Order: sequence, then structure tokens, then C-alpha cells
Amino acid sequence: MTHYLLRRLAQMFIIVLVSAAASYALLNFAPGGPLAGLRQAQGDQNIRLTAEDVARIRVNFELDLYLPVRFTRWLIGQPRGPIIIGNYEIFGNIVVGCRQPIESTVRNAQGFSETVTVGCAEAVTLRNLIGRRTSRGVLFGDFGPSWKLLRDRPVSDLILSRLPKTLELMGLSTLIALGIGIPLGVYSAVKQYSRFDYFVTTLAFLGSAMPTFFFGILLILGFSIIPKAANLPYLPPGSSEAVREYTVPFLGTIQPGAPLDVILHLVLPVVVLTIVNIAGFSRFVRASMLEVLRQDYVRTARAKGLIERIVISRHALRNALIPFITIAVFIVPGMFGGAIITETIFSWPGMGRLFILALNESDYPVAMALLFITAVLIVIATLLRDILYTVIDPRIRLS
Amino acid sequence: MAAPPSPRRPVSLSAEAITAPEERPLQIVLRRFRRHRLAMISVVIMATLFGLSLFARQLAPFSSNEIAVGNYFLSFGARSAETGGTHWLGTDNIGRDYFSRLLYAGRISLSVALLSVFISTTAGIIIGAYAGFYGGWLDNVLMRFVEFLLTIPILPILLIVSSILLRNEEAVPIPQFVLVAAGKLMLLSPADVRQAVLIIIVLAGLGWLNTAQLMRGMALALRDQTFIEAARSLGMSNPQIILRHLIPNAMAPIIVDASLNMAGFIVGEAALSFLGFGIQDPIPTWGNMLAATQQFMYDRPWLPLVPGLPILICSLAFNFIGDGLRDALDPRLKL
Repeated sequence: MTHYLLRRLAQMFIIVLVSAAASYALLNFAPGGPLAGLRQAQGDQNIRLTAEDVARIRVNFELDLYLPVRFTRWLIGQPRGPIIIGNYEIFGNIVVGCRQPIESTVRNAQGFSETVTVGCAEAVTLRNLIGRRTSRGVLFGDFGPSWKLLRDRPVSDLILSRLPKTLELMGLSTLIALGIGIPLGVYSAVKQYSRFDYFVTTLAFLGSAMPTFFFGILLILGFSIIPKAANLPYLPPGSSEAVREYTVPFLGTIQPGAPLDVILHLVLPVVVLTIVNIAGFSRFVRASMLEVLRQDYVRTARAKGLIERIVISRHALRNALIPFITIAVFIVPGMFGGAIITETIFSWPGMGRLFILALNESDYPVAMALLFITAVLIVIATLLRDILYTVIDPRIRLS
Repeated sequence: MAAPPSPRRPVSLSAEAITAPEERPLQIVLRRFRRHRLAMISVVIMATLFGLSLFARQLAPFSSNEIAVGNYFLSFGARSAETGGTHWLGTDNIGRDYFSRLLYAGRISLSVALLSVFISTTAGIIIGAYAGFYGGWLDNVLMRFVEFLLTIPILPILLIVSSILLRNEEAVPIPQFVLVAAGKLMLLSPADVRQAVLIIIVLAGLGWLNTAQLMRGMALALRDQTFIEAARSLGMSNPQIILRHLIPNAMAPIIVDASLNMAGFIVGEAALSFLGFGIQDPIPTWGNMLAATQQFMYDRPWLPLVPGLPILICSLAFNFIGDGLRDALDPRLKL
């Protein structure tokens, strides 16, 4: 067991490291980086950007450091300076970057002029790094400052401010979907090929084939826009809270932030997510329940003369829910990415919406942080799933 | 008077006479597929949609970007005063004909999905067959990677990759002939089609994972069977065995998967374009048309249905077809 856990932890660490490296590569490949447009500004007479200014901006974004150094500083917050033992510093003069590169313009093969770095006027040594601002490193949960959405404020602040709204939405819809989806799946498996079963499987099929974005728009049309035009009670089409008070027929005037206001705003997005989840859950539970009902021990239980209710709930259901662990453990990581489409349609101020905003504004540190955290949570969830399997089903051995 | 004994005709006992003519596998599959009524209806609907978009240029009364000044938000069936053409589905906020745009958009959306399915299925088959047949460390590493990617929610990755690619359009080297060919297919200029090709790359780049996993499972199950052994003992080389025996015998689940992927890619492309990270506005796709109707739906609540219904219909149809194919190809169901 210990040996297995150690091996898994090592594997997990490698996967996390690889996803960190991948996200760093994407960040660096991302356009609209800090220096884009700076060169044009340099040519502009009105802005007066000196070479020293450019160098300072480069330092600010650490672009003066070589890529491997920049990467380790981003990953684990090192190196911060020379190694100091007693009064001696070691490696103090090692060159880790270039403060002022010498650039020259040459013609490339296609005949376009291109700026290339040919040398270095002023090198950056390890000693120069002392006192520079560094993040603690992505591996330690510090994603550095946001580029645009909250300029220079930590990404984690931004994420934490959005977390409660997403948890509210996803938690509620997942709970409701579990409460409805599992019984539906069980019942339609027990009554296989009955009218009820056909009804549920058809609805689940439609629910999983329905594009979420169109479904959301249909709900807004049907429960918000059309009733409002017809002077019937309607639901607010978007956001999580009203800005000013509004009047709904039969319900009266509603103050922003009042409990009724919050509930009304929750209904539509929760319904979309719940229906999509119910479709998935009920299909899954039905399939695994059908599998179990065919087993010999269920026949034995029936042959012993047990009541059908007990056969179903105690013998069949408990075993049918074992594969369901796979879905259950991934609920939390899925939550972290938020329901991107649903949150966007209903302008819900959660993390999915944050992700879209970050991509729209090219604020890649925020987007990468969300993706990276999801990846880490998934790695943990996978381990959890494998361990839970052995706890619940003793036939499965870890190896 | 006793009837004269009728002369006994000799009964033919040859094999053709006493056995029912055997159906070829394809006939069996077709016969089974036809029993799935919804799948058959879906095939008819999709054939119609493909036909409509194939003849988009001939059928559309207007071109996709033809702007009629002043003819904003015309209602269904309004006639254009200048050209005399009929706006079957009305016009949008800048006077472009909805019906024509829908046809051109269908051409783009369906081509993107079809090409993505083709690329991702081919890649999945090759990678899966190779990994499953040969095994070894490469298989191990590859499949761990695939497993991990499959557990990550796909949409955020699609969004981030396509947002980076679309803003760096020129950075991705795409051969000119690919652009020209894709442009012919989608009726776009080579400059415009770049976006569509990038979306295909993104969709196919993440779409092969499932196919590869399926194919690998089939390869593992088949590679130790007797007919493979027989082929080897007859002196076939490994690539020949994979190509002639392994892949054809593993096709059933792959075909079902491809059909479901088709639905997935149509919805995926529409979702990307809807969120603004796919094909951008002057080029019509169902997704970005749906997104554009969102701001006008408070006054014209029927507008989102115009581009939304085709997406829904395609998604349902390919899901039904996949379902029908699954039933038809499953050898365990003897019908």
C-alpha cells in the first residue's frame, strides 16, 4: 500500500510538473504580451519612451532573464540571488540574463526586415537578482499578478472573489441533480422497457444532445422575455443579483440583494445545469444498475425470498453505485472550471465567466491558473477514486 | 380408380437449394439500421442539410455578406425592392439575408465538423492501433497522457488554445494549398478560411483521444486472436496485419464513435464561435449567428431560433444515427 501510494504520488508530481510547463509555454506563446506595441510606442514622438524605460519594463516582466531562469523563478520562486554561506556568496557572477540587448535590423529570407539580438550591452548576474520582486512560485500556489483584469493584484485574489458564486451555483445544481438523477436511473432500470423507462431514456438522450448554450437561450426566452412581455411573473435573465429594485407581477417589488431576489436569479442557471446533470447521472446509473441486476447474487437474493425493495436497495443499488464514484470524485474539479457556457449566458459572476473574461482580455495568468488548479484537483481526484474503489469493493487490489 | 402415382420429382439437395441465401455483413447492418426509425429519419434530415449546403451558392438568393442598406430586421418572407429576391427568413441587424447566411454557415459548420472527424478518427485509429498492437513503454506513456487529458474538462482547453491560435493566426504555418482547398470547400477566400482551418486543428487535436483509447482496446482484444496468428503464420508483416486485419475488424465501435464525434464537433464549433473564440463574424457560422441574435432577442424573441435550431437538429440527428449504428453493428444483438 505504502509502496503504491509513493509511486502514485511521484506520478502525480510529474503530471503536475508537466502541466505547469505546458501552461508556461502557452503563456509565453500567448500574443498581446507586455512588450507588444512597445516598439511602435518607441517610435512615437509624443510618448518619449527611452531605451532605459524599455529596459525597466523588461525587468518588470522579467524579460531580461534567460528562459530557464525565468521558468524556475515562475515555477518555484528560485533563484532569488547567489547562494550565501556564512560571509561567502557562491555563483554571484553567473550571468542569468541581459539587461540591454544589442539589437540590429536585418533582412530575412522573405525580404522583410526583422529585429534580431546580436549581443548584450549589460549582463544580469545572479547578484543583481537580490531584492527583486518574485512570486513564491506556481507550485506553491502563487500565480503571480494578473495582467489586466485586476492589474498587478494577485491572481489568487481574483479567483477567491469568484469562488463562492460558482460553488453556490454548481453545488446546488449538483445536489439537486444527484437527488433526482439517481432515483430516476434506478427506477427506469428496474422497470426496463416500461413506458416510464422509455420516457426517461428519451429525455436523458435529449438532455445530453442539447447544446447548453441554445438550451439556456430557450429558457431565457420562455421564462424571462416572453412572460415579461405578457405581464406574467418572470425570472430575471441574467446576473446573480439585481442592481436596482424591480417589480414582478404577483410577487411585488423586489429589493436587490433580498432573499427572493437571490433565489429568482438562481433559478434559470441552476435549472440548465441540473437538467444537463440529471441526463448524465440517470443514464450512467441506469446502465450500471442494469449490469448489476443481471448478476447471480441478485437472483440468489430474490430466490431467498427477500422483498424486491430490499433486493434493489441493499443488494443491487449499493453495487451499482460503485462505478458512480468515478463521476462523483470529478465533480469538485469540474466545479473549479465552472460551468463556462451557462455562466456566460446568464452573466453569472463565477469562475467560468472569469475564465472567458480573462481570455477576452488576454489575461493569460488568470486563465492558466484556473486550468492549472483544475489539473491538480483532477490528479488528486483520480488518486482518491482509486483508493475509494479498494475501500468500497475489497475485490479490487491496488498494485 | 386409383390415381396414377404421381411421378416423384427428384428433390434437389444441393447447398443453394436447402439453405436460405446468406446475407452479406453489410446487408445485415443495413437491415438492422433501417429498423431504427429515428436514425433513418435523421439520415434523411442530414442528407437534406448536406445537400442544401452543398448547393449553397445555387440556392441562396443573396450572397452571405450582401448588405442591404435600410432593410434591417425585415420579417419572414419580405421581398427585396432592389433585387426582387425573397428574404425567406428575414434580414439581420445590418440587412444581411438570414436564409442565405444560414446556408453558407451550414456549409462551413458541416465542413469543419466533417474534416475534424476525418482527421481525428484517422489519427485515433493509427495511434490506438499502434499502441495496442505493439504495446511497450510508448503505449504506456501515450495512454497515461490520453487518460489524463480525457479527465480534464475539454472546453477550457479548447477555449484557451483557440484563443491563443486565433490571435496568432499568422504564427501557425498552414500550407497555401490546404487553405485554397479548404476555401473551395467552404466557399471562402484563402485568407478567411484560415480561422476555420485553425478551429479544425483545435477540434481534431483534442478529438482523437477517445478514438485512440477505443482503438487501443480493440487492438488489445484482437491481437492475440487466432485469425491474427494465422495471418502472421502466412508470412504477413506487422504493418500489413494491422492494416488488413486489425483495423477492419475493429471498425464497428470506431464508426459509432465517429458519428457521435460529428455531433460533438458541430456543437463544439458552435460553442467556440458562440463564445467568441471560434470563427469570427463576417464569416457566417451557426454559432456566431446565434451569439449575434442574443442582443436583439428582447424585442424579437424568435431570432435565436433561426440559427439555433439547425445546431440542435444536427446534434440530435448525429446522436440518433450513432445510436442506430451502435444497435446495427453490435454483433451480440442477433436480430
